Amino acid sequence: MKSVSIYFFFTFIIGMSQHTSAATTDITIKIEKGHFFPSSIAIPSDTKVKLTIENHDDTPEEFDSHDLNREVLIKGNSKASIYIGPLPKGRYAFEGEFSPETAQGEIIVK
Amino acid sequence: MKKLHFSFLKWVAVSAALISPQLMYAAQYISEPSDYLYSPRVEEGEREIDTKFGMQNPKNSQDNKLSGASIGFGYGVNSWWFTEIYGKNSWDGNTSEFDAIEWENKFQLTETGKYPVDLGFLIELERPQNRAEGYEAKYGFLLQSEWAKWQFNLNLLIKGHYLGTENQGTYLGYQGQVKYRYQPTLEFGVQAYSWLGQLNNWDPNQQQETSVGPAVFGKIKLGKKEAIVYNMSYLFGTTATSPNNTIRLQLEYEF
Repeated sequence: MKSVSIYFFFTFIIGMSQHTSAATTDITIKIEKGHFFPSSIAIPSDTKVKLTIENHDDTPEEFDSHDLNREVLIKGNSKASIYIGPLPKGRYAFEGEFSPETAQGEIIVK
Repeated sequence: MKKLHFSFLKWVAVSAALISPQLMYAAQYISEPSDYLYSPRVEEGEREIDTKFGMQNPKNSQDNKLSGASIGFGYGVNSWWFTEIYGKNSWDGNTSEFDAIEWENKFQLTETGKYPVDLGFLIELERPQNRAEGYEAKYGFLLQSEWAKWQFNLNLLIKGHYLGTENQGTYLGYQGQVKYRYQPTLEFGVQAYSWLGQLNNWDPNQQQETSVGPAVFGKIKLGKKEAIVYNMSYLFGTTATSPNNTIRLQLEYEF
């Protein structure tokens, strides 16, 4: 009986967790010659954002942000998407792990 | 950078060699000293050399300390599948023994951050060196959520031995974690590991194996594509049949 209860509990959590609540906004960031464009993006605090990162360089890049708790590899001449938010107000830095000298950016949550 | 690779591998080998003769192992618990907490997230292209160490001190001081270690290689095949193969060592008295080979596969079932909870599934297959134990399988759902700098994990796991004559049975357990992501090199939190008993026949509360305690985590970047990732916890047994305390450490070299 306990096993059945825990299965139902997990099924409930999984089911509930898959409901998208906040509306999603799409934002695209480009990587060109080891830089992010735009490098600064403002979003409202109650918004979930689908961030699509297009890598226009021939070499791979990794979008890395401890502030956002996100890491994703973008192959050369390819793109990848991640979801962030809703986030509390503040600044959230990100960088390109393979070219951190130039690939720097931030998300400003207002 | 090749020198760095060599130095790290040498360090792993020396660490394993130093730790092995000093530790003793006996299979008394469902939990293993080098158990660790799984995250549902998968990073494509990630390559890692993964080492784990653990030591369990039993409640009864006359019993042997239980220790184990493993070393493996893991790879993020794509954005939803991470696979890792590793060898496990254990200790019986003063003799170090190769214990098992294990193949871990983790599947990220939802896109990172798309839903309030990220969902993954784990399948881990182990071939113990002792063939009487048959094969061990561990599988279950992995959940992760976050709010601001807080991260929450909850995993439901099933573990069983199959096709053998010893240690038969299928067990149900869970892992939980709350982590505060203070800064990249230092994060801290609390972890809990528990085995509730047989899948269809849970043990009474004091017979379940549950260990809870503080943990630290971090990632130290070594270069553009290299980093050391660590997590360590000190767990206190909360029931009569749990280890008195457990020290566990995981070190990954990502490249």
